[in-house]
Amino acid sequence: MKKRWKKPNLLIIIVFAASLLWLIPLLLIFLNSFKPYNDMMQNFLALPKSWGLEMYLETWTKFDFPRLIGNTLFYTVVSVAGIVLLAPMAAYKLARTKNRLSSICFVLIILPMMVPFQSYMITLTRLVANVNLTGTKTGYIIVTIGLLMPLAVYMIHGFVKNIPIELEECARIDGATNLRLYFLIILPLLKPILTTVVVLDALAVWNDIITNQLIVGGNQAAMNIQNALYMQFSAQSADWEHALPGIIMSMIPSLVFFITMQKNIVGGVTAGAVKG
Amino acid sequence: MKGKKQKEFLIFAVFVFPAVAFVLFATNIPFVMNLYYSVFKWNGIGKSMEFVGLQNFISIFTNDAMFWKGVRFTLKFAVYFVVIVNIMALGVALALSKEKKSAGVGRAFYYIPYIISLTAISLIWKFILGPGFESLYQITGWEIFKWSWVGVPKLAFYVVVVMTVWQNLGFYMVNYIAGIMAVPKELMEAARIDGASRFQTFRKVTIPLIMPAISICTLTSLTFAFKLFDVIMVFTKGGPANSTVSVAYNIYKEAFTNHNYGMATAKSLIFVVFVLMVTVLQMKVTKSKEIEA
Repeated sequence: MKKRWKKPNLLIIIVFAASLLWLIPLLLIFLNSFKPYNDMMQNFLALPKSWGLEMYLETWTKFDFPRLIGNTLFYTVVSVAGIVLLAPMAAYKLARTKNRLSSICFVLIILPMMVPFQSYMITLTRLVANVNLTGTKTGYIIVTIGLLMPLAVYMIHGFVKNIPIELEECARIDGATNLRLYFLIILPLLKPILTTVVVLDALAVWNDIITNQLIVGGNQAAMNIQNALYMQFSAQSADWEHALPGIIMSMIPSLVFFITMQKNIVGGVTAGAVKG
Repeated sequence: MKGKKQKEFLIFAVFVFPAVAFVLFATNIPFVMNLYYSVFKWNGIGKSMEFVGLQNFISIFTNDAMFWKGVRFTLKFAVYFVVIVNIMALGVALALSKEKKSAGVGRAFYYIPYIISLTAISLIWKFILGPGFESLYQITGWEIFKWSWVGVPKLAFYVVVVMTVWQNLGFYMVNYIAGIMAVPKELMEAARIDGASRFQTFRKVTIPLIMPAISICTLTSLTFAFKLFDVIMVFTKGGPANSTVSVAYNIYKEAFTNHNYGMATAKSLIFVVFVLMVTVLQMKVTKSKEIEA
């Protein structure tokens, strides 16, 4: 019996080998980001001759990375802050209020989770144009917050339902006002689910390209890093010497974030899996 | 009494209305606008809008080969994607659903493509299939590296499948692992002690117990496949020769390339029905799982 358990499982060996294979595309990009174009073409599997950062520095200045990273960071911070401020407030009040208005508001917020974004992105672009927000940072942030809100409210709403209501009743008897009750008692209790929301949304905003293309389009000043790199390098014959270091630099924040927040990401993904 | 009610409403408004306002602007209102524009003939720019009633819908069903080509592509993609991603993700999840550190590292490796941006993914594959394969052909002389992977319709289809599986496997793996971890270990041990082989235990104990995870992942991947858009917009742009135009990308092109705005919104509505059928089924299954758990 014992011997059979110890027998190395073929599936496990294959899966581990394949997990390395899975990273090969990324590894190849990394290796080639240090090579001049001729070396890439000569043998793209070979190690670079030198690990100098010249091309990285050149890409950094030539393609205005400080501005791109600044924009993207600004979008990420403001959108996530907006979600963290508004989503739990709404979720909490909706979970605790039982009347018609509350149900209507809840449905209005949750319904978009079922409707595919692709079905209203065209009219969304139109609406943004109608209110003169096309190509602006404000427009992009408003849309981003609106698009991320449903899932955030849904997840927090489920969490609030499990918080015992007695806690609030005690505080109310002690004379706490609504806002104080919320900020001092409820909000701290929501920390676990808020962490998940922050992690998921921060990654979503940092990596976004579709919304940025639709709302900001080709307006240089408001492009995020994904959109700008895409516009810059998606042409037929791309400038790979700059594209590869650019890709690597744009990925570093996501990767660092992933490594530090791994537990929350995995937990959050399963929590959000019910999304339509 | 009335004053109290008013105060309650005010508090409710302060807490809930800001969130509702953002959602209305970004999702609900644009969706309703679809209904309005879908009965007009309009190029999306000019002032003249011509009311055409249901004409847009009629011509989609009677006279729109591109749209139905998109439907066929999307369905074919869905079959490939759902089967491949679920079998692979389940296999990987079974091997890596251990508390060991090595399993954690393996999981992270599979998950990483899911957290990098579409820009990066699209450029990575463009580089590999372009200059990368070219250099490999120079070295090995193998014909396979000389094929035009993004230039031939049949090959481009497989490239889209491989890219999306590569990117999304981690997501489904994580969901399967959650399902597998929830199965009490005692059950499997009991089966083993009773003399069931590893395969029998898997088929008769593990599979039935993770059935909820399997159905949820299958339906989630099916909705994902129906909505396929991002990779197409960023990577193939529908090419070559419109062979990878998905339904969603066809709508996008109708609006922004062909400037048939009314038509595009009519298609959006058909598309919603198409996707909603799966979503509703998915929610039913998810609900029934909640009861079980």
